[in-house]
Amino acid sequence: MAGVEVRFSGLSKRFGRRAVLRNVSGTARPGEVLVVTGPNGSGKSTLLNILGGLLRPSQGEVAYLADGRTVPKEEWHRHLGVCAPDLSVYEELSAVENLRFFTQVRGLRLHDRELAAVLEQLGLKGSDFFRPVKQFSSGMLQRVKLAQALVHRPEVLLLDEPSSNLDEAGHNLLKELVMAWRAQATVVVATNDPREVAWGDQVLELAH
Amino acid sequence: MNLLIESFTILRKELTSELRSRVAVSSVGLFALTTLVAVAYQIGPYRIHEQDRPHLHAALLWIIVFFAASSGLPRVFVKEEDAHTAKSLRLAARPGAVFAGKFLFNLVLLLGLEAFLVPLFAVFMGFSVANLPALVLVLVAGALGLASSATMVAAIISRATGSATLFVVLSVPLVLPMLVFLIQGTRTAATVPELSALLPSLRAVVSLTGVTLVSSAFLFPVVWHD
Repeated sequence: MAGVEVRFSGLSKRFGRRAVLRNVSGTARPGEVLVVTGPNGSGKSTLLNILGGLLRPSQGEVAYLADGRTVPKEEWHRHLGVCAPDLSVYEELSAVENLRFFTQVRGLRLHDRELAAVLEQLGLKGSDFFRPVKQFSSGMLQRVKLAQALVHRPEVLLLDEPSSNLDEAGHNLLKELVMAWRAQATVVVATNDPREVAWGDQVLELAH
Repeated sequence: MNLLIESFTILRKELTSELRSRVAVSSVGLFALTTLVAVAYQIGPYRIHEQDRPHLHAALLWIIVFFAASSGLPRVFVKEEDAHTAKSLRLAARPGAVFAGKFLFNLVLLLGLEAFLVPLFAVFMGFSVANLPALVLVLVAGALGLASSATMVAAIISRATGSATLFVVLSVPLVLPMLVFLIQGTRTAATVPELSALLPSLRAVVSLTGVTLVSSAFLFPVVWHD
């Protein structure tokens, strides 16, 4: 299938004297879920930040490959959707306004109906679409963050602890979404939850 | 064309957020009002000798504008880091669009501050102007200049602790030459009716603004992503 393959090799990251990642390599392929797991502090979030281009590795490199050609780093943002605990949406804006902003700033124009459909897919109700998200519970906020990652239909989806703050129903919904998304994208999930580890076609275990 | 649309999308988001939170407007407006009232109470329109008025008025006006702006302008980037939205923005938008959107928001904020402050300053301090269009030109050029340097410095300091202090410290070398020419231009607008008298100061401010904007275009992507 077409799509974007994410190849990373020899990745290391040091913060001062502390080495967080040591010589990590792998490939996340379209149509597959790569699960990154490991104990707290093993560098799961750091790896996802590097794969998303938010952090520069101390050593090693990351390449996005589409149709055999390397995607320039300046274009990664068009292909990428990220949901992570340290990545938020605008609290003064409503859920729909947030999605509208994140699509328009990527140069896409989606009708409010399409934005609402994404929110509905994530289990939010119509009465919540136009409320400022600062009034949302943490579980609802997590759903908006997931919607923000998915709304522009990215070819690479990076999910860091995606079920944090979600209840059981939310977790099941997330599982369905990841499974559906696997068919059209390259999915990388960083998690410690054994239920989510089971989603992986490949599992990359990081050690301290 | 796309970059322009993306920049205006960021400007619209900034304006919507600001209209709902009113944090920057309140801090800039209250700082300006408090300083103006304190200065007017102590000095007022009549405690300065008439021939010294244009010099002192021009200097006081820009001191108030600069420090009031310093209380609100850095927020464009600091709030993104504080609210953990900076990463979301980094992932979604091109650096050029982010800089342009934030610059335009700071420009709107500064023009609003000047529109609010200058009439009050004229009333409280007895500030008279010989050439109103010249003063308007100086104010617009000043807003462009201060917005450009403030936006770049705000991006640099946003991830640092003690960012408010750092903003003023880092702004001084960029803003000081600009303030000198703005004060000179304001004094000229207050005393000389001919527009041509303003040209040397205006040219200097526009040149400094141009240099700041061009260097920001090269530097900002590095600052924003590292």
